Amino acid sequence: MTSRTVITGIGVVAPNGVGADAFWKATQSGISVLDRVTRSGCEHLPLRVAGEVRGFDPGALVEDRFLVQTDRFTHHALAAADLALEDARLGRADYEDDPFSFGVVTAAGSGGGEFGQRELQHLWEQGPRFVGPYQSIAWFYAASTGQISIRRGLKGPCGVVCSDEAGGLDAFAHADRAIRQGSRAMLVGATEAPLAPYSIVCQLEYEGLSTLDEPERAYRPFTDQACGYVPAEGGAMFVVEDEDEARRRGATVRAVLAGHAATFSGTRRRDEAGEGLAHAVRGALREAGCAPEDIDVVFADALGTPEADAAEAAAILHALGDHGHKVPVTAPKTGTGRAYCAAPALDTAAAVLALEHGVVPPTPNVYDVCHDLDVVTGSARPAELRTALVLSRGRMGSNSALVVRKGSAAAS
Amino acid sequence: MSDRLTVEELAALMKTAGITVDPTEMASRPDRSFDEYGLDSLGLLGIVGELENRRGRALPTDADRCKTPGEFLDLVNHSLMTGA
Repeated sequence: MTSRTVITGIGVVAPNGVGADAFWKATQSGISVLDRVTRSGCEHLPLRVAGEVRGFDPGALVEDRFLVQTDRFTHHALAAADLALEDARLGRADYEDDPFSFGVVTAAGSGGGEFGQRELQHLWEQGPRFVGPYQSIAWFYAASTGQISIRRGLKGPCGVVCSDEAGGLDAFAHADRAIRQGSRAMLVGATEAPLAPYSIVCQLEYEGLSTLDEPERAYRPFTDQACGYVPAEGGAMFVVEDEDEARRRGATVRAVLAGHAATFSGTRRRDEAGEGLAHAVRGALREAGCAPEDIDVVFADALGTPEADAAEAAAILHALGDHGHKVPVTAPKTGTGRAYCAAPALDTAAAVLALEHGVVPPTPNVYDVCHDLDVVTGSARPAELRTALVLSRGRMGSNSALVVRKGSAAAS
Repeated sequence: MSDRLTVEELAALMKTAGITVDPTEMASRPDRSFDEYGLDSLGLLGIVGELENRRGRALPTDADRCKTPGEFLDLVNHSLMTGA
């Protein structure tokens, strides 16, 4: 058996907490932090409710020269990367002998909308001579990968995955491949900041965007009240390493990346049958060497429109068979919002923490599930958890599934 | 007269690029490179653009290629004084 890729560090910047511990405390308690949109310039827009990251001061964590040249989504990424490195106890001294063995891969879908809007306003109000040079890089999807690489001196394989929301899981597959090809470690994950006026206007035509103004009603997937999703900002970064290298340096193995697969089922409309997602699940199980019964918990994509929820339920039942009716399904993102590419990254963080604590976190604001799934609602459910399945779908037809195993699980 | 770029103004411009510099120290070590201060090429390009807007005139095209504050001050002030 070839060596495994393992998660040794988790860094979270989420609407319900900064740092993995705060995030987990809020996630397992099932509180919802969805609230009225308060970001500057957004108050009059038809999107009323979102998951904002509040009380996050990037200036306390990141040097000014990185802050002035980056958007809020990269501020989230830089801070989350720091938290992940700290959690993994991985410092510059560990890799400066071979910086080419440590790379970065992120996923992004919204880009640097706030920064870009400010500079375009300068363009229209004052003219082209008043557009700052960092506009050339700050809005760009690859900005977070590049800035993390520069700031931490990481010269290994670097990339950005733009495969819509599911890219947040596909990034793990890229990191895993880099490890298999000889890298010692990778920083991987996704962060977003789509709550700026320009970015929100772009989202207004998205299928499923919920414009309800009551936070407790705006995002209730898998119920007959389902009316779409609310967006969120923030995200998670992870340190993943070759297992042998991680153990050699005495790192704690928090989880194993066991399997991933992605499919693409068309740009015109969502995959109404869930066939693409079911294929992704089967592929991820195959790579993980897992039977459907081995899956102890499913972190659902939970888009929150009746058609998309039905398609996801069908995919879970097709791919897992009878076990699909029995396995606990959860969508903690109903309490934080859907952070686009960062949503599956946050779900992966929640999945690892759930495995560690033996607790399935609940799905806030969701009651009376109208699908044949065992959705965990109300309060957290203790369970013996060894293997978790994380699902994600993109607006334009990408589907991904990731299987993660508990860190202490036997190699078998 | 007031057209001249001083170390104080340059330090303030560098601050907008996120770089905090003590003007006295910069004056005493004019050959310390922008690189050592942490100012990258886009940062210097932004400073040139801001200066051009403030002075209402173009600076020499190689202004953003200067390596040190000393070199930059000489080039800019020569240009501003001679109108070249």
